[in-house]
Amino acid sequence: MNSSAATVFPRRLVVTLSRIAAAVLGGYLFVWGLVALTIAGLANLGMDYDQAWMLAMLLAFLVYLVVFIWAFAARRLGLVWIVLLGGGAAMTAGAQFFVGG
Amino acid sequence: MHQTFRQSMTWLHTWFGLVIGFILIVVFFFGALSVFDREIDRWAQPATRFAPQPMPSFDHLLRPVFERITEPDPDAVELARSMVDGPLPEKYPVMDWSAYTTHRDPVLDTYVSFDVPNARNPDDHVHGHQTIDPRTGAQLSAGDLKIGSEFFYPLHYSLHLEWMELGYWIVGFAALSMLAALVSGVVIHRKIFRELFTFRPQKQRQRVTLDLHNLTGVVALPFHFFFAFTGLVIFAGIYFPVSETQLHPLVEAHEQAEAAATGLPHDPAGVTAPLASVDAMVSDARRRWAARGMGGDVGFLFVNHVGDANGYVSIYRAGTDRIALTGQGIHYKASTGALIREDPPETAIASVNEFLTGLHLQHFRHWLLRFLYLFGGLAGCVCIATGFLFFVEKRKQQHARDGVAGARIVDALAIATITGTLIATLSMLVANRLLPEHLADRDEWQRNVFWLTWLASGIHAFWRTSVVQEGESAPAWREQTILVAALALTAPILNWLTTGDHLLATLQANYWPVAGIDLFLLATSVTAGLVAHRLRRPALAHTTLAAMKS
Repeated sequence: MNSSAATVFPRRLVVTLSRIAAAVLGGYLFVWGLVALTIAGLANLGMDYDQAWMLAMLLAFLVYLVVFIWAFAARRLGLVWIVLLGGGAAMTAGAQFFVGG
Repeated sequence: MHQTFRQSMTWLHTWFGLVIGFILIVVFFFGALSVFDREIDRWAQPATRFAPQPMPSFDHLLRPVFERITEPDPDAVELARSMVDGPLPEKYPVMDWSAYTTHRDPVLDTYVSFDVPNARNPDDHVHGHQTIDPRTGAQLSAGDLKIGSEFFYPLHYSLHLEWMELGYWIVGFAALSMLAALVSGVVIHRKIFRELFTFRPQKQRQRVTLDLHNLTGVVALPFHFFFAFTGLVIFAGIYFPVSETQLHPLVEAHEQAEAAATGLPHDPAGVTAPLASVDAMVSDARRRWAARGMGGDVGFLFVNHVGDANGYVSIYRAGTDRIALTGQGIHYKASTGALIREDPPETAIASVNEFLTGLHLQHFRHWLLRFLYLFGGLAGCVCIATGFLFFVEKRKQQHARDGVAGARIVDALAIATITGTLIATLSMLVANRLLPEHLADRDEWQRNVFWLTWLASGIHAFWRTSVVQEGESAPAWREQTILVAALALTAPILNWLTTGDHLLATLQANYWPVAGIDLFLLATSVTAGLVAHRLRRPALAHTTLAAMKS
């Protein structure tokens, strides 16, 4: 019983910390990608850079809030990590394509 | 991690609300004070107790002021150290001059930006500034801290932690958590509408606390959401610095294209040129605004590429009657005064952005809204404070039985951030009136009083909450509340004794900046006195109970 209690507690703690990290850091990377891709994409389509920047920033924190809440509400934490990290990296790379790096 | 959506939202609300709440309450409180930052400045700087002034003559008054600002501020020089490898530059070339004023400013802030020649990032620059009396051009003493706009206001968004912009990031994270706490709070409480009308002061303390938490949270819900959200948008460039990093190549291209399209040179020509009469440009700009049916004053004046053939002067209209801080920019060639360009009307996206950030910053004239902001901000403080109290009341008996210090620590931190913040704020105002007028580093002394009294009330809070571990109420609450009442009474009395501007005089003269602050201080004192009186009861009840037991 002692050993099972010892393994259960750290596991719960790890899962909780992982959720917080997914919400805060995973969410940040995801929104970074979204912001960069929105600005670079729209600027590439001919929109003024400053306009694209403002539009992206108006969306950024609403999207951050949604993924933040989702990271805590979702059943499958693994999926949250995959979507946020994978999506964030993909969008960041997409933005880089427009920057021409 | 939890079975249902509601359970996971309850977890999020409880723990993020608790941990982030200690920062949020500070942000809310100083945000509420910042709504009246200019008025607090007048209270703290008796020499500036005169009527708001329009932008003064550039040619006669402002130009000599700018020309005497030849070096960056000392803290800007410190900042420059982090921008260069190796030694600091011998000389900082002047880049541009600017001045900003609003309908509430008797004094004028003038700024000069300087290039840092050997900076790693060529875009880096540093500032020098002087606050002047716009009637004479005289500089106000640098040690004369503008407590409202230079201390409480930056505390609201940066916590005065300038290193690596750490404070901005902490406040930004707190704002995001605030949004999450609002959403999760709504999910937890299904009977939102009923809570608007639920307050049962006769019920037991835990229930009353929760009623008040829900009431203040729900009543001001759109207000809280709006301010947390727009606060993030205002500093979006800090939180997502894409333009300085990943997208920098796009920005460079955009700036060159924009300079070509607008005719406003991006870079200096490297050829010296004189400056034509800026007063003539201002008159012309006013005529053009009047022709559009919107007279008004100059809010922001900007001379770019000072002394260079590519120099230009931008004149912006003050947003006194608009949500936007300034607008309707008109640009002139600095050397000749020839018109270069009138800014076109804002695009839809820029208008939305200006509306949101302008409504947060409220530099326009609307006193009713200003008071609503104050009470909305204070309602936010009540919401967070009652959240802490509910946390403690709900757990302290259990924690006492288990021998856990959790409830005590939360109670102590709550005291430090509720009454402690008030004590630090009021002590700073008292120190402002007590410190000798010509004391060297008078501004530094005032800041130190603020931080040290805050620290002291935090220590007192931890010391005088030990009984919470036995399930009792902490005496620190009442002791600090008495101190708040005493300090809030002392401040207006000291204002009277040191300046002669007592309440009857300021009210009679209709001088609301100082009368208003004095009235607010007195109201704080009375409220704190009543609270302290009321806080005697639980202790009495406890002694009676103990007596009955024995």
